[in-house]
Amino acid sequence: MTRGGFLKWLIGVLTAVAVGGIVYPIVRFLKPPPASTATIGQVANIGPASSFPAGQLTPATVNGRPVIVTNVAGKIVVYSAICTHLGCVVSPSGNTLHCPCHGSEYSAAGTVIHGPATLPLPFYGAKVSGGAVLVGPVTFTRASYPTWYKGQFA
Amino acid sequence: MSVDESAGQGGHVTQGDVEAHSEAPVHGRMPGFIAWVTNRLGMEELMEDQYNRIVPIHATNYIYCFGGIAFILFLILAVTGILLVVYYQPTPDAAYQSVVNISTNVSFGWWVRSIHKWAATGMVVLVFVHMLRVFFTTAYKRPRELNWISGVVLLVVTMAFGFTGYLLPWDQKAYWATRVGTDIAGSTPLIGHFLLVSLRGGENITGATLGRFFTLHVLVLPAIIIVFLGAHFWMIRRHGISGRL
Repeated sequence: MTRGGFLKWLIGVLTAVAVGGIVYPIVRFLKPPPASTATIGQVANIGPASSFPAGQLTPATVNGRPVIVTNVAGKIVVYSAICTHLGCVVSPSGNTLHCPCHGSEYSAAGTVIHGPATLPLPFYGAKVSGGAVLVGPVTFTRASYPTWYKGQFA
Repeated sequence: MSVDESAGQGGHVTQGDVEAHSEAPVHGRMPGFIAWVTNRLGMEELMEDQYNRIVPIHATNYIYCFGGIAFILFLILAVTGILLVVYYQPTPDAAYQSVVNISTNVSFGWWVRSIHKWAATGMVVLVFVHMLRVFFTTAYKRPRELNWISGVVLLVVTMAFGFTGYLLPWDQKAYWATRVGTDIAGSTPLIGHFLLVSLRGGENITGATLGRFFTLHVLVLPAIIIVFLGAHFWMIRRHGISGRL
């Protein structure tokens, strides 16, 4: 290959990279995003209702994903344990939930007490059937949950 | 341009004309298809003029680049603006959520929106710095007075773009900035109240204000800026770059 031929080839490649770097994001941008409020995942059995005592925050897993199970006066409520800030797993600390990464704190109902997280932990559907707790899928009630976060539940 | 180079001057052009003049400065650089198109459009003289134009050595200083950079930013704003309006909804109920949707849900939405925001900020700065360059090199003098005047219009239109675009996210900052800005317009003597209600579409900032600002931002101001940019550039070509200090 001649020097001139190589330079022409190099200019062609660099031009293609530059043009591709503009066209690719634009094409992706124009592709419609998934629905902003969504219900994702399948139902799973996480054991007997008796293993979740009233008034306690109990960590568990649903289809391999960490959740927090609460028993509010006999009613089982389940929400994700994945922090809405950057995706770390929150753990119960007394009557609240604490994120070890950046110190976000959630109430026992999954709402933000203080940041950096801004969005509440999303709820799983949950019901007691024949003594067993059936959990799932997750429901995102707000449009503002970012795509990477919802992707963790797909 | 010599007679020999002016292919197609008589209006009767064939492919043979283009090929026969392939040694001419412009044709010689172009592959067949592009030569074919430029010949049909009669662009050869324009391109000949463009290629033979000599940039004076004093104008290769970086301070002569500000206007061009502002124009590049305008092109970026046009492209990203067209993309944003695909998802943006200019109604009071949906505007904020549609902006959140662009930033969090749409692929590369944060990228497009950020570029639009920063290019807008940069364009205001660059237009202003360009004006300072023209002022301090006294480039506004005869015969370039109209270029200065069209430039002032472009400065005002750029500011208007910034002001109207600021309301569109429909958040608290947007609301109060528009409240203050339109109040200032309202303090104009005699016609103040007319300006205020014309801008707001009523006494208060409502969905009508959002609709008006959106229309200004995506329809009215682009039309104005394209006309004045055209005049601005045409006069630069006509008068050339101003002389050295």
